[in-house]
Parts: sequence; C-alpha cells; structure tokens
Amino acid sequence: MSTNSLRNRLIKLIAPLYPMAKRWLYHFHGGVFPQYNKSLSLRQPLRSGFMPKQLILPLQQHMGIPAVPCVQIGDRVKKYQLIAQADKGLSVPVHAPTSGTIIALDQRVLPHASGLAEPCIVIAPDGKDDALTNPLNLQQPPQTIAEFKQLLLNAGIVGMGGAGFPTFAKLPNQPGLVQHLIINGAECEPFITCDDVLMQTHADDIIRAALFIADLFAIPHVVCGIETNKPEAIKAMRQACQGSNIEVVEVATVYPMGGQKQLTQELVNIEIPTQKHSVDVGVVMMNVATLRAITQAIDLGQPLVSRFVTVSGMGLTQPFNIDALLGTPFNELVELAQPQPKLDYPLLMGGPMMGFAVAQNDVPVIKTTNCVLANPPQEMQDPMACIRCGECAEACPINLLPQQLYWHAKAHEFEKAEQLNLFDCIECGCCSFVCPSRIPLVQYYRHAKAEVRELKAQAALTEQAKQRHDARIARLEREKQEREAKMAAKKAAVKQQAEDAENTVKPNNEDNAPMSARDKAIQAAKARQQAIKTQAEQPVVDKRQAAMEAAKARIAAKKAAETTTEPTTRPGAEQTTTELTVEDKRKAAMEAAKARAAAKKATETTSEPTTRPDAEQTTTELTVEDKRKAAMEAAKARAAAKKQQDSSP
Amino acid sequence: MSIVAGLLIFFALAVVFGLLLGYAAVRFKIEGNPLAELIDKKLPQTQCGQCGYPGCKPYAEALAKGEAEVNLCIPGGEPTMLEIAEILQVEPKPMDAEATAPKPRMVAVIDEDICIGCVLCIKACPVDAIVGTTKMMHTVIEKECTGCELCVPVCPVDCIDMVIEKTSLKNWKWPEPTVAAETQK
Repeated sequence: MSTNSLRNRLIKLIAPLYPMAKRWLYHFHGGVFPQYNKSLSLRQPLRSGFMPKQLILPLQQHMGIPAVPCVQIGDRVKKYQLIAQADKGLSVPVHAPTSGTIIALDQRVLPHASGLAEPCIVIAPDGKDDALTNPLNLQQPPQTIAEFKQLLLNAGIVGMGGAGFPTFAKLPNQPGLVQHLIINGAECEPFITCDDVLMQTHADDIIRAALFIADLFAIPHVVCGIETNKPEAIKAMRQACQGSNIEVVEVATVYPMGGQKQLTQELVNIEIPTQKHSVDVGVVMMNVATLRAITQAIDLGQPLVSRFVTVSGMGLTQPFNIDALLGTPFNELVELAQPQPKLDYPLLMGGPMMGFAVAQNDVPVIKTTNCVLANPPQEMQDPMACIRCGECAEACPINLLPQQLYWHAKAHEFEKAEQLNLFDCIECGCCSFVCPSRIPLVQYYRHAKAEVRELKAQAALTEQAKQRHDARIARLEREKQEREAKMAAKKAAVKQQAEDAENTVKPNNEDNAPMSARDKAIQAAKARQQAIKTQAEQPVVDKRQAAMEAAKARIAAKKAAETTTEPTTRPGAEQTTTELTVEDKRKAAMEAAKARAAAKKATETTSEPTTRPDAEQTTTELTVEDKRKAAMEAAKARAAAKKQQDSSP
Repeated sequence: MSIVAGLLIFFALAVVFGLLLGYAAVRFKIEGNPLAELIDKKLPQTQCGQCGYPGCKPYAEALAKGEAEVNLCIPGGEPTMLEIAEILQVEPKPMDAEATAPKPRMVAVIDEDICIGCVLCIKACPVDAIVGTTKMMHTVIEKECTGCELCVPVCPVDCIDMVIEKTSLKNWKWPEPTVAAETQK
C-alpha cells in the first residue's frame, strides 16, 4: 500500500510536466482528463419538495418496450399509484410521483437525442401529495430471487446511471452465478454531482441494498468504487460500511472511470469480452442511485417516483442538486437556478461528454436523467481534416482504432467498421474530446452503428419476404395439383355417369374402387335422382334429356363442392394470373387503371350512385376535400395509363 | 518393355483418377445454380414483379442464364444494378430515370372503412401479407409487407395507400455528422 501511495505521489509530481502520466494511475487504456467543474453544484444545499405545474411521464423511460397506460384522462391518482403497466417482455411500469389529476395522454417531446414525440401521461398535481399506503403491497422483504425480481419490476426500477436497462432483467435467476457486486459511485462526467450528494446523504440506504443483494444471490465479493475527487462521499460510504465486508476503493479521477467496462477492469481486473454482458463473467454492477431505489422498494414498498438530479452549467448562477419528481420539466428546474444569460439555448441532458441537447427545454426528468446542463452555446468551429495524429487511439478506453473506424464510417464501409469491433465502442466521446481537428468522431460511430443495425434488420426482412414468397409459390403449386387431381376424378365420374345413363338398370358400380368417398356419395345421389326421375316421369328415357339432366346435376354438385372448399382453394383465377405473360399483365393493369379513372370521373361528374354500386356509401359521404383528392388520383391514373400506352405501342 | 509398363501405370492412374473425379462429381454435386443464388441474395426480395418476372428468384435465374437485362430491378435501384453487373461481369446499364435511387421503406395500408372484401389484393400479394376473406374487411400485416405496390392497382375501390414508415424511437437513427452540420446551417 505504501509503495502504491508513493508511486501515486510520484506520478502527481510528474503530472504538471507530463500530463499523460496520470494514465499510469489506473488499469484500463486511454481515458481523458476534462475540466470537471463539479464544485459548481456542490456549493448549494440539496433541494427537495419542488412541485412543478405539471408532470410529464413518458411511457418509455427505460430500454425496451414502452409501458401501457392504465388510467384515463380525468382520473384522480394518488402518489405511488400505478399509471402505466409493464408490457410483456423487457418493460417496466410507471407510477404517479404525486397526487393529482390526469390531464392528458398524448405525444410529448422526449428527453432523447432524436427529439421525437412519444406517448406520455400528464398529471396536474393537486399539491396535497396524498400517498397510497404500501403501494407495492409488500408484506415482508422478498425472500427468494423470484420475489425480489418481481418486486424490482413492480417498483419500475431501471439502471439509473444512464442506460436505463430494467434492473430485474440484468440479475441472474439463481444464486452463486455472480462473484462480484460492484457499486458504481465513480460518476466521472464533468459537472454531475448527484451521485456524490446521494452517497453523502444516503450511504446507509445504498449499503443496505447492496448487502441484501449480496445475501440473496450469494455474492462473495462486494466492492464500491468512488473517484478520488469525492472525499466526502468516500468518508460517508466508509462509515456506512463499517462492520460489513464491503470494500470502498478510491479510484483515479479519469473519464470514463464510471463506465461499466472500465470500472470492472479497475476494481476486479476482469475485461468484459466483446459481445458479452458483465453477468456472463460473474460481475454485476449497480449505480448508487439504483441501489437506493431498491432500498426504498424493499424497506418501504415504494416504487421509483423521484431521483437526484444535478442542475448545473456555466449559464446558471445558483447551480444545485435536487431530489426531483420524475416528470418535472427541465426548464422549471433551470429557472430555480437563476440562469444568466436568459435561457434561449437548448439544455443538455447528461454531462458534457455523453449528454445530448434536447429538442425542447420543457422535456421532463425521466428515470435516467442524472443532470440538466445549461451551458450557453460557444462558437462552434468547423471540423478540419484528420491529420492522423493518433491522439484518438491513445485516448480510447476500449483500445479500438478510432481513426480507422472514422475512415470506414465516413466512406460508408460499415462492414469493415464492424469488423474493427465498432459495437464495442461505448460512445464515451474521448476520441472527439482529444481530436485536434475537432472531428465529431463519436457521432460517426453512432451513425455507423445505426446503419449497421438497419442493414441487419433489412437483411432479416428480406430473408423473411423470400421465405414467405417461396411458401406462397409452394402453396399455389399444391393447390394447382389438388385441383387437377379433383378434375381428373370428376372426369372419371362423368365418364362413369355417362355409362350409367346408358344402362340405367345398373344401380351400383363396384368396378370404380379408386374413387374418393365423396365422389362416390355424389355419384350415388345422382344415380338415385336419375332412378326417381326415370321411374316417375318418363319410363322410356330419351337419351339426350338424360344427359342434360346429368350435366345439370353435375354443375350443382360442383358448385356445392366448391363452396365448401372455398377458403383453401380458389380455382381458375390464380392459375391464369400466374400464367399471364408480361404483356398481358401490363395490358391488364392499364385496362384496370383506365376503368378506375373512368369510374371515378363518372362518379364525380354525375354523382350517380349507379355507376359504382360498391362505393355507393363512400361516394355519398365524400367531403369536398376527398373529392378533390379523388380527382387528383384519377388524373394521375390517366396520365400513367397514357404514358404506358406511349412507351409500349 | 519399359514403354508398356509406363503406359500401363499411366493408364491405371488415369482410371483411378477418373473414378475419383466421377465419384466426387456425384458426391459433392451442387444443387441449383450458384450464380442465380448469388444474384438472388442481392435482390431486395420485394417480389414485386416490376422486372417482368414473377418474383425475385425467377429474375435471378433469368439473369444467370443471360436472358435478362441487369437494370430491371426498380426497388433495388442503381446499387442493386451495379452489384448484379459486377457478379455477371457485364457492363452496367443506366436505370430508368425514376428508379435511380432506392425508395424509402413503404408499407401498404388498407382503408378498412372502404374495403369491400373482394380478395383481389390477397391474390396479388406475393408474400401473403394481407389477411381477410370474401366480403370481410382485409388488413395488411405491416411487418410482412415488402412495399411492392402490387396490391394497389388491383383494388377496385382504391382503398390501398402506400405510406412511408413513421420514425419512432425504434427505427430512429443518429444522423450522419456531415449531413447534420449541413442541415443546421
């Protein structure tokens, strides 16, 4: 230990002369040392109890499938009440953060890089903060892993460090699979101090949840990593850990120490292999905020309805941390911090390294919002050409080749980028941070990842379409054969019938063994009919008449047979379509288009319902708008038909 | 004498290798036409028939036999044409003016209030993506639809529209930095 601290001191001595010496202080590759500005938000005491005018709760605040609302507009809800249920699969529910009335269920802009609007539940708080007692219906702390995971799901707990992965889904189903539980208190992004404050104020809660999980999953080693720039938090956590076997480790202050892969490597010296999850190598990592939410669920039976948020930035005179209700709009929080200059620029969600600008400043705090950042925009300089300095490769914490990835992403050679392990990129932004040409490298990787995903989805769709097409062709072929077989059988029957008609005395025909039961039945029926007719009306049968009668009966039988087999077999039409030549098809399409156009014209000019009996209802109900649209459609069809005529005379 | 021995040896060898090759030709026979398979993989599988062949595979087979032009695949556009030309080692041919760029993914949507249940679109659909039966409303299974537009002209009441897929959190993707910078300006 002493040699270690001596080494650290030595490195700190060298650091002013050679700043990158600080990289010797930790185990993973790369990393950067940005201006932290953490003291800004630590100057003010923790705030709580702020009640905004309305709370906007997106149905999707997590990774996976959106929740399904279970309230109506106008419903009164109490604090902690379930307002949206978890859907099947990877999904978590949403609960009301306070009592009030549901005033809207509509699309609102999300705090997401896309700036898209998605379904949200909007609550107007009544200010009473009426809470349900025991909202999760918890009788005793969960005893089994299944109970615990169900509780995590019911409480709507997701990873609150930023990814928002539902916590229940990342835990294994049986004890003994996990060797290391890592408590993530590193919080390496500049400006953000909400985890720091949480550790200072709720260290006991965090440790209790960690011990509970360690006990339930039989995890032998529990370790908490906190960066050296949070001495107060380290002190508080060490105090809370006394008497337990949880180890609190000071880790070097470097970005991105708080990344899952990096902190795992630093604390337990395990590198998570590519394409694998940490649980595959026996490691589970939890953010301190997630652990506190778990404590609230197992001790008090409370779902996740609030979280610590840092409201900071260079544009605020009074930055602070707040225990904010989920759904609180960003701009209301920022107004509390007295912005200077006026807030007329987009806010950032998250830190300056990985955060993104929101599309509107009234987007709500969600389960993964750790920071609202108000940094007035600085003059952006255009990126310049890559000078191949290699700084990005030095800084990459995953040890990728950012420059190569950049060339491939820029040239749209996404497959090559993928071969260079593009998907191991954690999008930390270290490469962009160090780039002297200010190339937005991480944006290129994000775009390339999205493109690769889309290409894969496209390939899957294509494969599916191919299979369905092949299946359809097989089906048509089968139906054709069935039809032919039936026709053959019928022909045989007709032949037999003719013979029967000739010698009417013969009531049965034994020599027709290979006929199907149905055909036999039909034939028997026909024979009976014939017999009755011959007996009652005309004892002496005119041959010709008998044949006609037989034909009629056959048609009737055929019709009957067809209606019963309608859903599976459709004779005639299909065969002809498949056998049509190209020329015929084009002609047919033209004809159809012409007919349609004509029909439309007719309905328009004379508005007589007789021309289009099928569309009668709709035509009469058409508004002026629709008519105009229809007219345009007709014109287009006419033009297309004409074009086609011209092109293929 | 030695000449006869040499001849015999080589004759024996020829017989052995002949048998070996004959056996290999039977044992390791490749089913189907590999060239057609290769081309089929590059085609967009919309099964739209706009090339004049009833589906992507027949077109691929025709291409492999050298019976079809390389520039007939409208949904695939120019990129597909170039890929096919490369596989077949032929000169690329320009596409028709309207089909140079691939279109965005579209799906057919049936206006269920207007649909009369004529089953014409069901017969036209190359991937069986429309459900419904006689005199009952039809609907398109969105995730199976290839956007081939074959159902649009056959509808007697014009109740089928082609719509571009809406951007949601599921299919949103990060924009390319250069494009993003240009749109900001």
